[in-house]
Amino acid sequence: MSPRQMKLGLFLWATGHHIAAWRHPKAHVTAGIDIDHYIQLARTAEAAKFDMIFCEDAAGLREANVNIASQTSRSIGFEPISLLSALAAQTERIGLVSTASTSYNEPYGLARTFASLDNLSGGRAGWNLVTSASPIEAANFGATGLRPHADRYARAREFATVIAGLWNRRAAGHDGESFSVRDPLDIPPSPQGAPVMVQAGASDDGKDLAARTADVVFSAAQTFEDAKAFYDDLKGRLAAYGRQPDDVKIMPGVAPVVAATEAEARAKHDELQELIPDDVGVALLSSYLSISDLGRYPIDGPLPELPESEGMKSRQALVVEQARRDGLSIRGLARYFAGARGHWRLVGTPTQIADELQARFEGGAADGFNVMPSWFPGELDAFATLVVPELQRRGLFRKDYEGRTLRAHLGLKRPF
Amino acid sequence: MPVAAEWGACMHLAISLNIAATDGQTILDFGQISSVVGQAEAAGVDMVVFSDSSDGPSSSPFEATTLLAALATVTDRIGLVAGASTLAHQPYNLARRFASLDIISHGRIGWNATLAQNLREAANFSRPEGFSDDDFRRRAQEFIGIVQGLWQGWDADALLFDQKAGRFHDPDKMHLLDHKGEFFSVRGPLNVARSPQDAPVLVMSDLAEADLDFASRAADVILIEEQSAEAAEATCAELKRRALAAGRKPAALTALLTVAMGSKPDAARLRTLLGLNGCDGLTLALPADVAALENFADRVLPELRRHGIAGQGQQGAMLRAHLGLGGAK
Repeated sequence: MSPRQMKLGLFLWATGHHIAAWRHPKAHVTAGIDIDHYIQLARTAEAAKFDMIFCEDAAGLREANVNIASQTSRSIGFEPISLLSALAAQTERIGLVSTASTSYNEPYGLARTFASLDNLSGGRAGWNLVTSASPIEAANFGATGLRPHADRYARAREFATVIAGLWNRRAAGHDGESFSVRDPLDIPPSPQGAPVMVQAGASDDGKDLAARTADVVFSAAQTFEDAKAFYDDLKGRLAAYGRQPDDVKIMPGVAPVVAATEAEARAKHDELQELIPDDVGVALLSSYLSISDLGRYPIDGPLPELPESEGMKSRQALVVEQARRDGLSIRGLARYFAGARGHWRLVGTPTQIADELQARFEGGAADGFNVMPSWFPGELDAFATLVVPELQRRGLFRKDYEGRTLRAHLGLKRPF
Repeated sequence: MPVAAEWGACMHLAISLNIAATDGQTILDFGQISSVVGQAEAAGVDMVVFSDSSDGPSSSPFEATTLLAALATVTDRIGLVAGASTLAHQPYNLARRFASLDIISHGRIGWNATLAQNLREAANFSRPEGFSDDDFRRRAQEFIGIVQGLWQGWDADALLFDQKAGRFHDPDKMHLLDHKGEFFSVRGPLNVARSPQDAPVLVMSDLAEADLDFASRAADVILIEEQSAEAAEATCAELKRRALAAGRKPAALTALLTVAMGSKPDAARLRTLLGLNGCDGLTLALPADVAALENFADRVLPELRRHGIAGQGQQGAMLRAHLGLGGAK
């Protein structure tokens, strides 16, 4: 049996994951309207043998304050299912995973869309289930506002059950609380049987749903201990649903800044941090904390006490804990957070970064990583040419694809 | 004078491809579909229309909008139109999907909004009882209006890309929709940039008598069901009359007569139809059958190309230019 190897996803995000990425002099500033940019990124990732590319999504603006929004590149971009369908025709091996919301779709429609992407790509599609926590999105889908956390998850559980039933060709017919579906799916299965199911919710409801239905779980963890605790928690929930630990791959996000020397890597990182306007950093932090008025507290003072929100419960806890632990001011936390949005940041040489990834992978805290380059294409190119060969040299990552489907890359069983 | 005059000058030509195979029909794969589309593009066909669902049981490997995205990357000039139902989508999601497709294709996309309620869809999209005809019609009209509004949310010069000053876009050139209607409430704006061709082309089909005023007012293209040349002439005249009454130039509305192509396509019949009907052109409806498609590609398309009948695409690479349409309403 070949040794266990890590899985790598490339988390795509227009100009890059850093909030100021679009201002980097070498960033592709028109990324959000340039399909050729994405085709190039996908081909770079495929040449580096990444398991998949992944697109996050929100059905609405990401920032309510129009002046803040206009200083970021995040108000416009491609809709991810059309984007990945285009990339399916321009790539051959790499997996194609998109986020889609259970709150603003119907299971029959989403089942068809992803089954089609799965066929277009010859069995390389995956769906990242989100319940959508943003009131900005809610306002595009009715006047009632954001539904409470528990309601969203009840709908998501029913959604996941129905879509899995359609994809796995189980007996048709569903008449439930939120959805009714009469017929079987009218799209035949792809070579991998059914799209891969991905989730990222880290609340208790989220982890239970993931343990029941997900093939891959994306997570956010700063420290080894946090990553390990999440990993053990989630894998520990699988047995209750009759599943084995290996049935789910846990892939925390990592935001690497890599260069030949550590000093060079730090300089690259600082260059981007300097491009963040204070009001943008604070607004981004407010949005992830699901509060609207962080701007009224002194920017060099500590983070105030916060009420628990109906938005992202688990993300909020992570950010607050980070600030308390490091004694950060609002400005300090905002800048720190803007760089990787609460994900794990690694700044260093290829050896240092490979060491850190190896420690979490071999220490039982990750099955792989979702790589979040700070800006495109530069930091992706750096990771692909500096870190990937180092991981391959250590036998931690594949030198070529073993199969043709996303399930094959991930070592997942066909669902039926 | 172009040779096209022989057959009817300024005729537009679309093909429609039914990819949903019913029992006994062959399921078309991506290679077969892209091959037919590529040959139609070479022959100068303005656009290809894909239906997305049928009333009865059928099977296709592809949903139409995802298929369009893949085809957009392997074609350069031909317009690509997908059916997408107002029952199966939310207006915000649908507007976004087509806006994104239009950028991927560099301005070659159209949405075929079918105005007939598909009860099979209703049953699978948590509407087992469906809508009354009246409700369905009012809802569809509201839906289409929202989509058109969302497509206009960003002005053409809204994106600044000013890295030094830190101004990505001009916030005054981004507009909320703030729609609150009988069936939908949508704040907007869309989180996709403005279409390269101003807005995706809005196509309507399956019109009932009660839809004619709305369609004449709102559609860029209307697909007319197959009928005799005399009846088609009357239908097109009526649509143009209503468009005029709604304050539009008749040329802003393109009416295409559907002609079903059998397994043995007849170029002489096509010639007659192109000369006689009073419409702006034809939509040739092709069967989901490999032999018939090959026959069409091998016999009819070269004939069309030889006579210069198709090829309005020479006017510009975007679909609105192919069809001689102005900007969106």
